[in-house]
Amino acid sequence: MKINLKPQILNPNYYPKKLKIFWGPLYYLLAVIAVLVLTVSGKASAELTIKANHDHIKIDFFYHGDEVTVSGTSDAGVDLMVKITSPETHLVMKKKGKVAGLLWMNVGTLNFEHTPNLYFLHSTRGIEELLAQEEMDKEIIGYDALMKHVGITPIENDYEREKWFKEFVRFKEDSRLYNIASGDITVTEAGNRQEYFIKLPWPYQAQPGEYTITVYAIRDKRISEKAEAKVLVEQVGGVEVLADMAKNNGALYGIISIVVAVAAGFGVGMIFRKGGSH
Amino acid sequence: MYLYLPVALTSISIFIPVGLGLVVGLLSGLFGVGGGFLMTPLLMMFGIPPVVAAATDANQIVAASTSGTYAHWRMGNVDFKMGIHLLVGSFIGGLTGVQLIKILRAMGNADFTIKLTYVIMLGSVGTYMFFESLSALRKKGITEKAGKEQKKESAVGRFLKSLPLQTHYEKSGVTHSILVPVFLGGFVGILAAIMGVGGGFLMVPVMVYMLRMPMHVVVGTSLFQVLFTCIEVTFLQAYTNHAVDFILAVLLLLGSTIGAQIGAAFGKRLKGEQLRILLACIVLAVTVKIILELTLTPSLFIAQTGGH
Repeated sequence: MKINLKPQILNPNYYPKKLKIFWGPLYYLLAVIAVLVLTVSGKASAELTIKANHDHIKIDFFYHGDEVTVSGTSDAGVDLMVKITSPETHLVMKKKGKVAGLLWMNVGTLNFEHTPNLYFLHSTRGIEELLAQEEMDKEIIGYDALMKHVGITPIENDYEREKWFKEFVRFKEDSRLYNIASGDITVTEAGNRQEYFIKLPWPYQAQPGEYTITVYAIRDKRISEKAEAKVLVEQVGGVEVLADMAKNNGALYGIISIVVAVAAGFGVGMIFRKGGSH
Repeated sequence: MYLYLPVALTSISIFIPVGLGLVVGLLSGLFGVGGGFLMTPLLMMFGIPPVVAAATDANQIVAASTSGTYAHWRMGNVDFKMGIHLLVGSFIGGLTGVQLIKILRAMGNADFTIKLTYVIMLGSVGTYMFFESLSALRKKGITEKAGKEQKKESAVGRFLKSLPLQTHYEKSGVTHSILVPVFLGGFVGILAAIMGVGGGFLMVPVMVYMLRMPMHVVVGTSLFQVLFTCIEVTFLQAYTNHAVDFILAVLLLLGSTIGAQIGAAFGKRLKGEQLRILLACIVLAVTVKIILELTLTPSLFIAQTGGH
């Protein structure tokens, strides 16, 4: 954003001639206030810090998930929340229902818009007692807030919306991609400050991409500060080559897969033939 | 030991796919079926997305059926001429089936019709095969069996013998019009495309009861047929859906190619009716599993798209 450093109000020529004698002190007064405001807010944003021990998770053939430690410092006495999310996506899911009152079958699809692929929320205490609902909605904290944010179609009413969102969360929790827990952030006092720390298992089901870790400092049911860090999950080496080939060169990838399969089939056949002849 | 799968985007213990491959490959070599009806749901159970499970299974069946066809060919159990005629039919049937499914879906409630047809088809094929092979096992008298076959052949065979383009299939020891395997292959191809399965479990009974081929030749020829069908499916899945996971396929085929050899060798020691009754039991077990899936309340009411 481009900031106009000399707005009209600060321009001495803007004022009538009589008022010009006041301009000098007024100008300085405004300047002092501005410096004070900037200093105070700058100090506030420096209070809460965040650091992830891994900001680059590499997926190679032997990758089986990882561990991410989020730590930092905050004002003493505040409650903390750590939220990890991925960019939002659009997901199509099959919907199961009873047909002819007897058989459970797929009865159509549901579109889930603006859903993060991963959603982790950890806090020093239960989120409902920590934050006011409007604050949670604003920052998409908790499943209720996420439900309001996510678009689900086609549904007929709020009852259906809640029902299918709950199912969606269960599906994601089964895949270890959604989790809400409280009381698992370790906080230690350090003078008039406090240090926080949480170790999280990073699921191998989490797809490559950039994830955002946000830490919130909470005082009197309001978010007083927040800070962010990024974690990049990336495929490397042979995994990257194969994934890239499958995506961008499907025909060659298919032919290689077939040739390898046929060769393996013949190869094993030959070995057994040899073995059989002895 | 775990390996990361680049297309399935998940990690799996290598012992799971190798073990699954071994078991399903064994069934493949023994009965001449691809085993997709078992492997795809098992892979999904271990967290593989449905589309990737189906596509990668087709890729591993290429390996298992190559291994199995090779083993059966060495035993003289593959009727290539019959296999090619069936393939022509099933290829045309597959194309027709894909169009038919579009019409069915446009009519609405297609899944219900398809699933019900699948269950009825599996159930009746399994039951018929079970009782037929059971009575064959009980009788055992060669002369009795021959007499019975003669009687049945005359009932069904009159119309078939009147068809043009009659040819002798030496390996199978049967004479049919070329149109018969092409038509039957087409029928299986249509059903397989509509149901989204390979169709081995249908092709085997069709060859045994309608083409009257000996069971051991049926197994070898079915595998030869399955090989080509799965080559086509693997290519299409890799090209259009980008869903074949090479690493998973390699792990599966490590087990399945060996399993197919063991299955073929083991099958040699079993009589045709013993093989048929075992296959019937498996088909019936799958039928029961699908019926349970359809009637028991699912644990989750939503699922990923793709797959069956």
